[in-house]
Amino acid sequence: MTSDGSAAAGDGPMAAVDGSTAAMVAAPMLAVRDLRVASASGTIVAGLDLTVAPGETVAIVGESGSGKSMTVKALTGLLPEGVRATGRMELPGRAELAQGSSGLSGRAGLVEGRSGQAGRAAPTEEPAGPSEPTGRSRHAGSSGHVGSSGHVGSSGHVGSSGHVGSSGHAGSSGHAGPFGHAGPAGRSGREIDLAAQGTIWRDVRGSRIALLLQDPFTSLSPVHRCGEQIGWAISGRGRAERVARLLAEVGLPADVAEKYPFQLSGGMRQRVAIAAGLAADPDLLIADEPTTALDVTTQHEVLELIAGLQRERDMGLILITHDLRLARSRADRIMVMYAGRLVEEGPTALVMDAPAHPYTARLAACDPPITHRLPVLPTIPGSVPQPSSVGAECAFAARCAFAVDACRMAEPALAEVAEGHRAACLRPETAGLPVDVPPSPAETVPPPPAVAVPLPPAATVSSSPAETVPSSPAETVSPSPEHSGRGREAAASLFHAGEDQGIPASPLLSVEGLAKTFPGSAVPALDGVDLTIAAGETVAVVGESGSGKTTLARCVVGLERADTGRIDFHGTATGARRVQIVFQDPYSALNPGLTVGTSLAEALRAAGRPKSEVGELLELVGLPAAYARRRPRALSGGERQRVAIARALAPRADLLVCDESVSALDVSVQAQVLNLLADLRRRLGLTLLFITHDLAVARQIADRVYVMHHGRVVETGPVDSVLGAPAHEYTQRLLASIPAAD
Amino acid sequence: MLAFVLRRAGATLLLLLALSLLVFGLLYLAPGDVARNLLGTRNVTPEALAQIRARYHLDDPFLQQYWRWLTHAVTGDFGTSIRTGRPIGPLMLEKTGITAATAGLAFLLSVLVGVPAGIATAVRRGRWLDRVLVTVSVVGVSAPGFAIGLLLLYVFALGLGWFPIYGTGEGFLDSLWHLALPAVALALGLGAFVVKLTRAAVIRELDQDYVTFARGRGLSEGATLRIVLRNAAIPIVTSLGLMVAYLFGGTVLIEVTFALPGLGSLMEESVLFKDIPVVQALTLAVAFVVSAAAFLVDLSYLLIDPRVRARAVRR
Amino acid sequence: MSPRPDSTANGRSRRIPVVAIVSAALLAFVAICALAQEIIAPKALEQDIYLGVVGGGVDGHLFGTDQLGRDILQLSLAGARSALAGPVVVAVGSMLIGFFLGTYAGYRGGIVDMLAGRYADLLLALPAVLLAIVVAGLVGRGYWVTVVVLIVLFSPSDVRLVRGAVIEQAPRPYIESARVLGIRPSRIMFRHIAPNIVPIVVANLLLNVAFALVALSSLSYLGLGVPPGAPDWGRQLADGRQLLGDNPLAAVVPGVLIILTATAVNLLGDWLSDLLDRRVVAR
Repeated sequence: MTSDGSAAAGDGPMAAVDGSTAAMVAAPMLAVRDLRVASASGTIVAGLDLTVAPGETVAIVGESGSGKSMTVKALTGLLPEGVRATGRMELPGRAELAQGSSGLSGRAGLVEGRSGQAGRAAPTEEPAGPSEPTGRSRHAGSSGHVGSSGHVGSSGHVGSSGHVGSSGHAGSSGHAGPFGHAGPAGRSGREIDLAAQGTIWRDVRGSRIALLLQDPFTSLSPVHRCGEQIGWAISGRGRAERVARLLAEVGLPADVAEKYPFQLSGGMRQRVAIAAGLAADPDLLIADEPTTALDVTTQHEVLELIAGLQRERDMGLILITHDLRLARSRADRIMVMYAGRLVEEGPTALVMDAPAHPYTARLAACDPPITHRLPVLPTIPGSVPQPSSVGAECAFAARCAFAVDACRMAEPALAEVAEGHRAACLRPETAGLPVDVPPSPAETVPPPPAVAVPLPPAATVSSSPAETVPSSPAETVSPSPEHSGRGREAAASLFHAGEDQGIPASPLLSVEGLAKTFPGSAVPALDGVDLTIAAGETVAVVGESGSGKTTLARCVVGLERADTGRIDFHGTATGARRVQIVFQDPYSALNPGLTVGTSLAEALRAAGRPKSEVGELLELVGLPAAYARRRPRALSGGERQRVAIARALAPRADLLVCDESVSALDVSVQAQVLNLLADLRRRLGLTLLFITHDLAVARQIADRVYVMHHGRVVETGPVDSVLGAPAHEYTQRLLASIPAAD
Repeated sequence: MLAFVLRRAGATLLLLLALSLLVFGLLYLAPGDVARNLLGTRNVTPEALAQIRARYHLDDPFLQQYWRWLTHAVTGDFGTSIRTGRPIGPLMLEKTGITAATAGLAFLLSVLVGVPAGIATAVRRGRWLDRVLVTVSVVGVSAPGFAIGLLLLYVFALGLGWFPIYGTGEGFLDSLWHLALPAVALALGLGAFVVKLTRAAVIRELDQDYVTFARGRGLSEGATLRIVLRNAAIPIVTSLGLMVAYLFGGTVLIEVTFALPGLGSLMEESVLFKDIPVVQALTLAVAFVVSAAAFLVDLSYLLIDPRVRARAVRR
Repeated sequence: MSPRPDSTANGRSRRIPVVAIVSAALLAFVAICALAQEIIAPKALEQDIYLGVVGGGVDGHLFGTDQLGRDILQLSLAGARSALAGPVVVAVGSMLIGFFLGTYAGYRGGIVDMLAGRYADLLLALPAVLLAIVVAGLVGRGYWVTVVVLIVLFSPSDVRLVRGAVIEQAPRPYIESARVLGIRPSRIMFRHIAPNIVPIVVANLLLNVAFALVALSSLSYLGLGVPPGAPDWGRQLADGRQLLGDNPLAAVVPGVLIILTATAVNLLGDWLSDLLDRRVVAR
């Protein structure tokens, strides 16, 4: 229960907004003030204001632990047991919006009347250009308006207008429902105490706000037909027709209604989920990482679908995502959360192009580009703190290169840096500055001297595509020699292609005609895969789920046996010294019962090396030797993955296989680990087989890339040619599906 | 679909065959001379022993004996009871009614009370109703039926006089009255088991994403619960199948406690008397019923789980 | 047994719930009785045939006597030994079998796994108590013979439990990494997998103790466990059944003791498995 002290953010920006006479302003359809979420173990979200206008897309961006998911759960009254929210949420009725939001935003008086779906000037259709922010800023700074709207609405707008807004919707019964619970806001507008539980949410969820979850494989009931599931939220007659219409709306054939979820692909399931979410005609859709569980090509389709539906229905959309690139391509406004705090918000163009918080700037920089390779990926040192562990300080201060003493004295409040653009930073001007400290793979801890050495220029990867793109890139394998760093000379000499075009003269590993079909599966996981890796080379295998890339990796390390085909190691090593592997999930990578030191010592002993090398191994991956005494549960995800890498390095194997080894990590940590791998490669002369679904990651780490699809390699070649000038239709499709960086 | 049913039936038959071998082996498992065992606890002359050897073909090879026994058993001929000298088939048949009535009543009671109670506790997880019912169900699961039975007998039959102390009664209502206490004693443990399993199943489903999604798009708690129950039905039905086995273990003790002349009592008497042919027949019968229950549960998946149905159709 | 006042909806209080404390106290008492039977109940087997069966309070017998004139209180306290010793041996024995066989079958698969699976199928198709009655009745009637029979009958479900837990662990990255590192399978099984399934094993051990207690007293009740005249709750119940009219306490006291002890073990097991579950999740 918050005190009635309204959000601090209101009045300042308002003057500016009121003064401007930009053409379009949409009154917010959702206004949240001072949302706080906490559990017994501490704060999860520490105060957040949020407004969404009809047709507007607001992206809430954050890494794990930022509190973004708990925020949306709080907005729908779906917090897990033991987690409580406070704050207020206002949902002005459609009628009030339609009648002219002038009533709501009183003083502004420049809002066009909008009735239902008519007269849409959807912000989504407008490019987020520099000319735009004036219009946008109204949403951003409008929490003050909303603060007053409840009172205005309570006296002003009641009665007949109740249905105007929803006249276009067949399923409007939700709106007409029992508004008796409504506070002083009046008949169709609602003000909700976020601490409330139980029946009050019934009128909110479905018809006002619908929540779309991340995983389409678990968000539908497995034993009910899809049509039935969509129909649950529809009452009254004509249910079957409504279901059919919804299915058509999400681009699915009508016969899907008769199918069970397990008979559909992930993308189709997410479409069914969207149809189900829209069945009660919500004004606002909250999508919690709606495409994270999907393949990249499907992601693109689903996002397009959501955008289209949003336009048609004039629906507000809150997009929860960890992916800044995705937020940039889809959102009108972006809110960046960090450790349970809102650190920056504003129109997409401003937040992305002129960030006012160093965290936003660093986060954007960590995201590896798809178009070119960076010599060293920018990183953010350390990892995201627990929201509850942050005291009276800027939550980001500990990782910020520009932090001054004042940052550690008190938590900075959100302050306006431009119209509608606010940041919780004392030194917003620093956000645009480059960080001069060269990032090293060992930022989490005091870096051992060996690692802090600036990278030799030879290591910079700047291959010009023109050099390496042969006439037929899909066929040719000609790893560029410029990646060789220290100790790479020997390997570099191997890179002269042999007579057999495309295959290095002396490969370390060669795979020929590998095929495998899992028992009970109709399609082969591997269908005749050929692959070679030269010593010192980094080869990426990219593909979507079901492409067979992971099966290939498992066959190479001997965890899976292929049905036919050959895997030849050409080195002299045997057993564990041939090949090691690092898996995806850092949380199950280590035996929870053993200390880090014990795990590493065991790996060393198995390889016939002395236990005393544990400290060296840890320092090699940028961790202090003292970590040997820790147990995995005391380590962050990134640290665990470092230990997993150290363990794989223990036998000094010829080849290191990384199976999606950075995919489960936060972007900032992912960059650290990628840098570490690149660094290890240089220092140890490692040969890497890197399995990933992420083309940008492949671009950063690999010399050559194999693109797999349905168990086959469809394209291979140097990374710059395959990803720069893809020859195969499938590779082209993969690349086209990635949200554009700008 | 038919292939699925046939395959399951085949597996069940195979299991029964293996069990019958095990059960027949019981005769040889018992220490001492087989012929002497077959005579039970009576004192016998060497002539009588020789007679027994001949009558039971004990000098034939083991498998041949087994085959003879099995082919007869299939036709309902389990041989003769040593203790009573009567054919076992009819002996078992006349006692089946009481056991079936008691066990059926107990099954019905435990399901009708246990499933709703399990759902209620799951929905109110962590509240006082849940805690009380969970604790009570732990007591129920822990308490042996015969101990409960004796306490019930003492309080409701001897003390309060509401129920008869022994006997099976005449006619439907009277029988019901007579079988009430045994059925309750049997149902208590069973019902507690059902509460535990139902609660676990419903809680597992309540934690699924689809429940969050259903709530997140405005479905009422009632509608959400219906979806949950439809999903939880699969593990619940599985557990009901398991209960059949549990039921037969308990019946013996309950029938002894309440002096009911059912199959359980017959089993107890036959074991104590080493009336091995009867023990064999009864064990085989129980194995048959338990396997049949498991088979029915398998078939019920076709009805309640579309994934199983799809797999069954595809094959 | 009142609902735990300290656990709110969140329920993650560090305090040990009252139920667990009460259960542990009761079990401690039973354990002391079992260990120090000779001191606590020295006159358990003293018969007073002339007195015969008397009700509670008569002649200094708080709970009366049975048909042989034995003091019910002393007899019941002495019965703690057979109520605890056998079940603990059964639970530990079957869990040892389950642990080794289940771990091996789950990790290595192959013929051992196949045989263990079929063996479990076979025994689980029959009610354990019924099978115990049959086997104990035919094989012999000693207490420890019955215990061994129960170990054999309990082990299949333990094999299954452990096997399932191992199969769940085996594909985890930390196990697969160990495989790729070339660590010996025996070491992977018993150094890496086994410690991580201990919570399941320990919780199940307690549940098995309760189940074995019920099974053993059931057999005694039918006259198949302990020899006649030995102090044993199941046996006392069987004897007390005839005396419900003269001294109902002869049946009620051991009956309540069986129920309380089994319940206490189960409650403790449930609490422990919750606790360990949470610990595992916290990792």
